[in-house]
Amino acid sequence: MLNQLVEILKSSGVYGWEISDVKTNGWEFYFIRHELDQHRVKNVEHITVKVYQTADNGESLGFASAEIAPTASRQEMEKLVSDLAYRSTLAKNRAFTLTPPTDEQFSEGKASDIADISADFIRTMAELPETDSEDVNSYEIFVSDVIHRLITSTGIDETEHYPSSMIEVVVNARRDGHEIELYRNYTSGTCDAAGLMRDLTRTMAYGRDRLLTQPTPVNGTCDVLFSGRDACAIYDYFATRMSASMIYRKISDYEIGKPICDRFEGDKVTVTALRELANSSANHAFDEEGSVIRDTVLIEDGVPKQYIGSRMFCCYLGIEDSFIPTNLAVTGGTGSQEELRSGRYLEVVEFSDFQVDEITGDIFGEIRLAYLHDGDKTVPVSGGSISGSMNDFIRTMRMSSDSTQYDDMRIPSLTLLHDVTVTGAEG
Amino acid sequence: MKAKFSDYLGSIKPGLKEMIRILRKDYDYVSVLATDSRGLAVRISQRSRSVTDDTMTAERGIVVRVCKGGQYAEYAFNQFDPAAPDKAAAEVRGALEAQLVMLRLAGVKTYRTPLLPDEEQSLFVEKETQQLPETADVKALVEKLGGISDKAMTLSEFAVECIVSAQSTHICKLFLTEHRDLSQSYVYSEGAIFMIVNREGNTQVAYESVSGLCGPELFDTMEGKLQKAVDTCAELLDAERIQPGEYDIIASPEVTGLIAHEAFGHGVEMDMFVKNRALGAEYIGKRVGSDMCTMHEGALCAENVTSYAFDDEGTLAGDVTEIDHGILRTGICDALSALRLGVQPTGNGKRENFEHKVYTRMTNTMFDSGTDSLEDMIASIDHGYLLEGMESGMEDPKHWGIQCIIKMGREIRDGKLTGKVVAPIIMTGYVPDLLGGICMLSPHREVFGSGGCGKGYKEWVKVADGGPYLKTKARLG
Repeated sequence: MLNQLVEILKSSGVYGWEISDVKTNGWEFYFIRHELDQHRVKNVEHITVKVYQTADNGESLGFASAEIAPTASRQEMEKLVSDLAYRSTLAKNRAFTLTPPTDEQFSEGKASDIADISADFIRTMAELPETDSEDVNSYEIFVSDVIHRLITSTGIDETEHYPSSMIEVVVNARRDGHEIELYRNYTSGTCDAAGLMRDLTRTMAYGRDRLLTQPTPVNGTCDVLFSGRDACAIYDYFATRMSASMIYRKISDYEIGKPICDRFEGDKVTVTALRELANSSANHAFDEEGSVIRDTVLIEDGVPKQYIGSRMFCCYLGIEDSFIPTNLAVTGGTGSQEELRSGRYLEVVEFSDFQVDEITGDIFGEIRLAYLHDGDKTVPVSGGSISGSMNDFIRTMRMSSDSTQYDDMRIPSLTLLHDVTVTGAEG
Repeated sequence: MKAKFSDYLGSIKPGLKEMIRILRKDYDYVSVLATDSRGLAVRISQRSRSVTDDTMTAERGIVVRVCKGGQYAEYAFNQFDPAAPDKAAAEVRGALEAQLVMLRLAGVKTYRTPLLPDEEQSLFVEKETQQLPETADVKALVEKLGGISDKAMTLSEFAVECIVSAQSTHICKLFLTEHRDLSQSYVYSEGAIFMIVNREGNTQVAYESVSGLCGPELFDTMEGKLQKAVDTCAELLDAERIQPGEYDIIASPEVTGLIAHEAFGHGVEMDMFVKNRALGAEYIGKRVGSDMCTMHEGALCAENVTSYAFDDEGTLAGDVTEIDHGILRTGICDALSALRLGVQPTGNGKRENFEHKVYTRMTNTMFDSGTDSLEDMIASIDHGYLLEGMESGMEDPKHWGIQCIIKMGREIRDGKLTGKVVAPIIMTGYVPDLLGGICMLSPHREVFGSGGCGKGYKEWVKVADGGPYLKTKARLG
């Protein structure tokens, strides 16, 4: 079918085109406690066609895209290409060049044994150290073997074969007739049994502590320490500020060579896009447009080095060699864990949903479990929220020098924001 | 005109019925959901334009649900040859048996569930629309949205970008079992304006939306929302931070909808009852809000983006009174959870798309209205805030916590709006306290359907929510 589609596109007279063909063979398992509620198989193919047309004597380039069924007839393919050719003339953008092919040779990868990976997840969950007061309520396992082929009018024809996994786990803890739950969602390439066991064991301990909490007492500001995966949202904010679309739209004011803060009093962040991180679910040699993914420093010691993103916006900024980033590594921390864990601070380990607004820099999160540390004294607290703006925190932010990986991000193990607004939950 | 049902689904229906007949020899229950929903999405800004058919609910595919010995399983695929139903049936059997081999080796136990009923039933619904996304005048739509974006840039000296998006989807679904044959076709649309301003490094964004159970004709109403987005941006540029604390609040209808959705929307999804994940199960028949608090949920209780005729398990749409004058009466339920709990399904079994499992999900979640005017509500407050603009929310059905991110608050002092605006706001609290504090409700209700809803952090579906202006107490930060 793809050969026929390519032939129709080539003879259509359009300026350019891309075909993305994604085949997924997925296994899913849904457990209540440790009993199987449902099992599912997914065997699907999604073919998306994008067509480009020039206008205004080459000053403009429009594009339109649509999905076509893998069972489409030749007549349906011809109609789709014709419709897209017309629609692409309506969505005119400033002209840009399409992604060229590369001489670099990539490994296509190989088929994943989704039965083995699924069994690893099931075995790991069965071996968790549950107790009478902390256990697993339910979990959902998703394991896929994915083949992605990208073909373009510029000569790109690349194929990648990779595994993709996710497990959602709900942990319960109970005490004196009261029960609470903690939610976890892990993504990875294959099953990271050791990491899963380690994190879920810690989660059960958090559950135990949450039942011993007092209402969060602070109404004002406090230093807040992030020691888990919620900190990824903070570092995602920096990477997003470097995206070519944010720069070109003037939504981000980051400038190459100009520090992101006028006077650093804390640590200076370094953000690097990486092609590969161990067992990441986002390890790819090329992005969705066919651009080669390379290890690239985006921000170094708090100074923007390289904008990054889609072909169109990068071209507008005069950047020829760029890509849509997948994995990120963040460094720049100078403190030890002991240094960052000193004085009075609130360590929030469970939020309802911690968020960093990528446009305004505002941060929010309801506190489900935090530890209020003050010297040798530590009190578990819950309720209330934290809020503030990254624009205010960048100057004094501290990071630990060691790092922890959360799927597609490797970030400092500890992140400390100073003078965060804390809304307490007392009376 | 009627939204015409999919020719494609009509053409494969005989083959699907034959596949069901073949599979019934091996399974105690077999159902098929086949979808063919076509979309149109146009996004115009000052610096980029795109046209695609990719909307949140556009899809074409098939999911087969089977049950044997109390164990349910599903097979989702999108390459079906109606002339070879035996081949498809063999594919389903083979794929699910391969999983069972691994599960047996792993020693996994089954959570057994009774058989779904399969009484004779047929339904064919084509809802009204003025236009269809697949035949819409895309050129005119691009020009219309471009005109809105261009006009926005003239209305604020601080404007840096205005993104205008419009999406319309023609939903067609076919549900078949041995004895049931249900078809539905309807169109819903949604549009949004994102206005972005920057003044001396202070970037702010305002968002206005429209949604409805209708075709692309909806987008004619979008320009009327522009000035509000521009005005909101101007107010946000001068907004101050709120002093954290507990306040009297008036929730605008949009914020009221967010509270409904997060408080007793997720909290009474009864698949959570099956897993003992919701405190609500212990509170049926008990007080969870003030006498003024009445809440409905169901595809039939409003006409908006998720007002279907039947859900993704073939259960007809309903209208459930969840909270009646402060008393929690019932929850909402998908078909399998209903069997496990011994209750009737409510028409709330939804999938993100044919590739995804069914969960109990919301449709339209609405607070009932009251008789108090907004002016009287404001006059009743010594120091508090009128909250406007919904950003996001998160529930905790097991502990009844709630997190709502709200765009801004208008300060009220001594019964009057002072003109001072605070932003952004995070509202948190304990759900029964929040609902127990409801003491005034306005007569006018609004429905909002431009957002999506996840279960945890996945399984995104369309939902709508809303209600009147509502006065209560809340913790703001």
